[in-house]
Amino acid sequence: MAHSRSPQPALITARAAHLLACRICGRVHPAQTRTCLRCGARLASRDKTSLQRVMAWMIAGGFAYLFANIYPMLETTTLGKTASNTLLGGVVELFIHGSYGVGAIVFFASIVIPVVKLIIIAGLAWRVRFPGKSSAHLRHKMYEMVEFIGRWSMIDVFVVALLSSLVQLGSAISVKPGIAAVSFALSVAFTMLAALSFDCRLIWDADKDNEL
Amino acid sequence: MTLPDLPHMDITPPSHSPLRNLSWVWLAPLFALLVTLGVAWKSYNDRGTLVTITFPTATGVIAGETSVKYRDVVIGQVEDVRFTKDLKKVVVAARIDKDVAETLPADSQFWVVSPKVSANGISGLSTVLSGVYIEGAWLPTEGTPMHAFAGLASEPMVRPGRQGTRIKLRSKDGSSLPEGGPIFFRGVEVGKMDVPKVTESGDSAIVEAFIHAPNDRFLTTATRFWDTSGFSVKLGAGGLDLSVSSLGALVRGGVAFDTTFAGGAAVDDSTVFNLFVDEDSARQSIFNQIGDEALPMAVIFSDSVNGLQAGAPVEYRGLRVGQVTGINAFIDAGPNGRKAVKMRATVSIDPQALGLDGATGKPEVLAFLEQAVQTGLRARLATSSIFSASLKVELAELPDEEPAKITLDADGVPVLPSVDSDLPDVTATAEGVMKRINDLPIEEVMNQAITLMASIEALAADEGTRAAPDALVKLLEDSRALVNKEDTQAIPSELRGVITDLRTVVADLQTRGAMDHLASLLESADKAASRAAEAAQDFPQLVADLRDLAAKAKALKTDELVASTTTLIDSANAMINTDAARALPADLSAALAQVQAALQELREGGAITNTNAALASAKDAADAVAIAANDLPKLTAELNDLLSKADALVAAYGAKSPFNAETLALLREFKLTAKSVTQLARTIERNPNSLLIGR
Repeated sequence: MAHSRSPQPALITARAAHLLACRICGRVHPAQTRTCLRCGARLASRDKTSLQRVMAWMIAGGFAYLFANIYPMLETTTLGKTASNTLLGGVVELFIHGSYGVGAIVFFASIVIPVVKLIIIAGLAWRVRFPGKSSAHLRHKMYEMVEFIGRWSMIDVFVVALLSSLVQLGSAISVKPGIAAVSFALSVAFTMLAALSFDCRLIWDADKDNEL
Repeated sequence: MTLPDLPHMDITPPSHSPLRNLSWVWLAPLFALLVTLGVAWKSYNDRGTLVTITFPTATGVIAGETSVKYRDVVIGQVEDVRFTKDLKKVVVAARIDKDVAETLPADSQFWVVSPKVSANGISGLSTVLSGVYIEGAWLPTEGTPMHAFAGLASEPMVRPGRQGTRIKLRSKDGSSLPEGGPIFFRGVEVGKMDVPKVTESGDSAIVEAFIHAPNDRFLTTATRFWDTSGFSVKLGAGGLDLSVSSLGALVRGGVAFDTTFAGGAAVDDSTVFNLFVDEDSARQSIFNQIGDEALPMAVIFSDSVNGLQAGAPVEYRGLRVGQVTGINAFIDAGPNGRKAVKMRATVSIDPQALGLDGATGKPEVLAFLEQAVQTGLRARLATSSIFSASLKVELAELPDEEPAKITLDADGVPVLPSVDSDLPDVTATAEGVMKRINDLPIEEVMNQAITLMASIEALAADEGTRAAPDALVKLLEDSRALVNKEDTQAIPSELRGVITDLRTVVADLQTRGAMDHLASLLESADKAASRAAEAAQDFPQLVADLRDLAAKAKALKTDELVASTTTLIDSANAMINTDAARALPADLSAALAQVQAALQELREGGAITNTNAALASAKDAADAVAIAANDLPKLTAELNDLLSKADALVAAYGAKSPFNAETLALLREFKLTAKSVTQLARTIERNPNSLLIGR
């Protein structure tokens, strides 16, 4: 049984056995094989650029997220008056108006999750580079969670898209997406890419190094 | 053996560039960074210029919401609203689009647009929902842009750059110059008035007005403005004239202008136009316009010039040929050395008014006037209208005047000889009117009424009228005399005959030895006595008849006549003077004379004689009762018959006599006439103007 909670030093990895699995189709090759014999994909025991890419996407996502927080997300025109809301401003306004539930959802989706995601990915990358004492299993869990939850950050973008397409009543009331909506979407996409770029096998290596 | 020394070789591993392993993914954050920086830079670069506008108040201006507009397009937004340090004004800081802000000159105007409802309409309605905004207006200019401006309290009358002409309107009454009031030209709104202000001297209100191009081309110095607000009611020779320009102008007020005569000079900002109360006076003033090329002259008056003002017309044969330009007094040494204050009116005579060319006409006018003065042309004062005390100078042709000629005074101004005004006493405003009223035939009417009263008096005093009662008394006396006259005792011939017969019979009886028949005679006498008693019983009736007769004579409507005359005199407050009334006493006398004559005739006529005779016979008969006892009743009956006839005769002059009826009819007419005159007098008392308007 592969997954046992306690580390098993006797367990031999594919890398140690000089084997190499294709990440696309899953066929196992000898270590020196450069391309997959079945699907023709490039084979690498470890993705050497993984951390680079993670960092790159993360930085891009951070920029986009910063941008998304400065510029207005929504431009609401009510009876000739135009009000624009940034992400945080919108959350604050929702709380002021008493919509705590919706406010909390928006707050989690658009503030907490992206920020937590960025922090987790950064933490994972950090641990790969500078192994610490944290549990590899926990890191695996966190990685899974980031991958899973990442897409939910798009909820904010969907809300903006829905509102701006539905609420168009001429000069009475209309909603337009602000430039922050685009950058927020980009930020989410970038962080998702960062999560994808992360080669989770590096966690094992880090574990092994740790054990050695 | 030793291996030969191999030369030492410096083998350096191929240097691994740290960039070799660099993933292309790094382009993503780079790109994101570039985009972010780009956007940030752009937004900073596009950030408008911050300008500050100082307002007295900033009603409804909200930082971050209120926008700034130019030609109704948003060019910026208010960022901050704060006070000046002394808290006296509000400073609005607004971001204006950069390229727009570059064109802002120092005289840019900014004002807060808020909803405004006034007689001139509703404006700024859009701001009810969206909130106020700041509107700017300026003439875009290149150069060093300004960043601090003084805002206006309200929308300016004219936005910079509008083509048109700015003028000033002056009016005694500022209420005819409503703020923002329209200016009409031929009923079309072509301009607008600003807020009226009181002039420095405080004697009138002045307002700046703006006439938009291209209609400002109709403006010259000859243009006249008048008030069109409200409506005007005019009562003139042409009847009642009600004029309402338009309902809009009625509510909003406004002024209109027109230029009907050519030759005015161009208008600039400093031109001040006087506002006339109505179109007529405005147009009138155009006709009264005196050209610039007028001939200055002087007229010296010795009488009061009260009512003569600068601008008063100089008229020749009713045509305005010039105007008075000034009046002053000076001390003049009279011919006998006595100094006297005289009034000198400077007048200008317009050659154009006399059909001469303005520039070259002056000598011609002077020549004409010199010639006219020789034939009797004189200047004199005249009232300009019957309802005002204002005077005008009239050039009257008076051929009977002593010869005079135009002289030059010390300043070389020709002096027109003048004559005293034919209305020297016209100094008071109402005097002219009073004169007119004096001239009304009311005096004649009063005179006639007085004459009528006099006539009535004369009628009452007239001997004929006085004689009327006398005549009546006489009539009564005559009637009495008719009864009492001895002639009445005269017996009609047949009666006399009868009585003669009776006497004969008695004589016969006496001659025939009456003793035989004495007894029978006595019996007869007895019978006669009894008959006499019977006859005597008839006497009271006779007396009664006589009384009746007297009463009827008395009831000859004398009372009514007297009463009617009294009524007549009573109602003689206002009477007309007619010949008929004057002739009345004579007629009445004549009538009474006729009555007298009739009575005379009655007296002299056989009828009365007969009556008298009959009555006399009655006495005789009574005396001869004893003798003519048998015939007495018959006599008495005949007497009664006669009396009744006489009664009827007198009665004929009584109640229903034509004379009486005619007199009464006459009196009735008199009464009616008096009533009519009284009514006329009352009517005049109530409506004195009915004399003027003839109704």
